Amino acid sequence: MIVEVHDLCKSYPSFHLQHVSFGLERGRITGFIGRNGAGKTTTIKAMLNLIEADSGDVSYFDLPLKGNESAIKKRIGYSTGTLSWYPRKKIKTIVDIVKRFYDTWSEESYRKYMNLFSIDESKTPLELSEGMKVKVNLMLALSHQAEVLILDEPTSGLDPFSRNELLNVFTELKKEGIAVFFSTHIISDIEKCADDIVYISNGKIIVATSKADFIDRYSEDGESLEDTMLRMEGGAFHA
Amino acid sequence: MRNLLRKEMKLSASILSYLFIPLGFMFLLPGYPILLGTFFISQGLFQSFQSAREANDIVFSALLPIAKRDVVKAKYIFVCLIQICGTILMIISTLLRMTVFSEVLAYRNNALMNANFFAVGMALIVFAWFNLIFVRGFFKTAYKFGLPYVTFIIVSFLTILIAEVLHHIPGLERLNAFGTDALGLQLSLFAAGLLIYLVITVGSCLSACRHFEKLDL
Repeated sequence: MIVEVHDLCKSYPSFHLQHVSFGLERGRITGFIGRNGAGKTTTIKAMLNLIEADSGDVSYFDLPLKGNESAIKKRIGYSTGTLSWYPRKKIKTIVDIVKRFYDTWSEESYRKYMNLFSIDESKTPLELSEGMKVKVNLMLALSHQAEVLILDEPTSGLDPFSRNELLNVFTELKKEGIAVFFSTHIISDIEKCADDIVYISNGKIIVATSKADFIDRYSEDGESLEDTMLRMEGGAFHA
Repeated sequence: MRNLLRKEMKLSASILSYLFIPLGFMFLLPGYPILLGTFFISQGLFQSFQSAREANDIVFSALLPIAKRDVVKAKYIFVCLIQICGTILMIISTLLRMTVFSEVLAYRNNALMNANFFAVGMALIVFAWFNLIFVRGFFKTAYKFGLPYVTFIIVSFLTILIAEVLHHIPGLERLNAFGTDALGLQLSLFAAGLLIYLVITVGSCLSACRHFEKLDL
């Protein structure tokens, strides 16, 4: 496992993340699925040390995140959905600052992904669509040769064409050995490109397995993945 | 830390933080409460916190490959740099008033506080309040800064008022020394102000770091 999340717990007054555990493997796409408020963003924030978990731990490359934060973050990339950084600064200015934090920064990769994603570095985040913002975050992550991508709702708010394009990018990245972990509440995203599924509901992991195994174990005859999940979310697992 | 400081200066900072530094030259104004320069420089720094919050700067910084507490340290270093620049201008103004302009009537007939090293020491104390009350207060939530800033305004104005009043109290006239009069006392008071600034700034930074580590962003 390239990433291991072990027994994460976090309590808020009206929400509890309970004993969340799963792992990510190199060269695989993992879809993190759950309805709004299920605990996806809380889990991702704990994985990035943006929130302090009450208990549990996260490790990357066999190193615990605590105590190795700086070294680990150099090897991972992230995108936090619709958040926009420095909305009035040019992408070029932001990149010029960010790249100095990474010894692994490759100007060649930067140019490659900038062209691939058709990013105009003279634009500001304010001038970008939601899809382009995700692509800028991806470009930053890939330019410093991130081995793991952690993406919070990267496809939310995207039109079907941009969504499809982005999912194709994930498939290409997986071929390069990158572990892609993305949260979504859109089941067809998982159906299209995920190898593994981590399904969370009410702060608990219901199942974490390969997509094939998931379908094998939970889908009834003639049922699509979407139907299966809707049925599961509908109560079978909370009865 | 150098990279983080560059990020602070180029991405996070408001231009007003830099533009307000020359207000340290308010130490040259006769008949004016010169310590207000420190308040205006702090106002410029406040603008940087405001623009950083609007740009999601804190979360962006926390996601960079650094230890989480370095986000706080970088902000403190940026704030101190601006304050040091302002203080240097105050010292230059003070030296001019102590030497070249020591006999200028406008300064001699000044009912308000004279620019001397005691005044510079008091300026450092106002900056120390900014670091303790505002910056540390901001990092309790990393987004709420209204109450810390209002508290800083009240405390800084009280400090300025006390500094202005002190030399009118019988026996404390030497606090308003002109030129090189009572130089030993002036420099001692400046050293005390500097020491207070350093202790409060370092202490509040460490406290803010500890708190920020546990903060949910």
